[in-house]
Amino acid sequence: MRDTYLRIWQLFTGVAVAVLLGIHIVMLHLTRLFGANAADLTSWESMLDRARQGALATVYIALLAFGLYHGLYGLRGIILELSPSHTTIRVINWVFIILGIIVFIGGTYVPIALLSS
Amino acid sequence: MKERNPRQNYLGARGWLWGGNYKLERYLYLLHRVTGLGLILFVMIHLIVTTIFRIQGQDIWEAAMALLSNPWFKVGEYLVVLAFVYHGLNGLRLTIQELGLAMGKPIPPVYPWKDALRKQRPITTVILAIIVILGVIFLFSYLQGGR
Repeated sequence: MRDTYLRIWQLFTGVAVAVLLGIHIVMLHLTRLFGANAADLTSWESMLDRARQGALATVYIALLAFGLYHGLYGLRGIILELSPSHTTIRVINWVFIILGIIVFIGGTYVPIALLSS
Repeated sequence: MKERNPRQNYLGARGWLWGGNYKLERYLYLLHRVTGLGLILFVMIHLIVTTIFRIQGQDIWEAAMALLSNPWFKVGEYLVVLAFVYHGLNGLRLTIQELGLAMGKPIPPVYPWKDALRKQRPITTVILAIIVILGVIFLFSYLQGGR
């Protein structure tokens, strides 16, 4: 039953990532089509301006959380197709949980620090 | 008679690549995984740029952005966007398939029968067409000097 819930979360995070990453890509990669100047978006001032907006920081942190879950759960599924033993599966689970937490903390530290800069 | 464990993967790592009788859909699924692994790798690199480089100040940030404006990085960036478009839309197709949607009305199993994959083949075709159209739009954006 637990695996079913984890799988449903995989579908839910997939949809969430598609929406949030879609917003991110349209904002930063379809710039010329919407008349924006691409060079301005990568400037230090423009980056700081975006980093100070709480809504955008929230979007990026949510994107990181959903993306990490979706990616690591997907990678776990690929590895589990090799039919490892139950002990190996437990080790893989914990490695991915710890890796996900470390990357999430590392990835959210800077956006939160820049919010108040 | 030797008892077989239904959970056992008898193909091993070859099972990742071999599509068997599933043909097109199975290879689209393989590409789904390849693009997914590529996106995980990209996210890790992207996090390094947007955290470690960014926190070190304006000079390091601008040097990193100058490096990333190299045309080869732009090609790589386009491939990442293409991988995202493919992974997202093919993921939608896989979800529709997994949930048993778009199967049409049940019909008697009269030969020549249609299996589930062939019933959903129109969705596959539409999704592939959308991927190509979006790929062209993003290519146009990049060629126009977008990011």
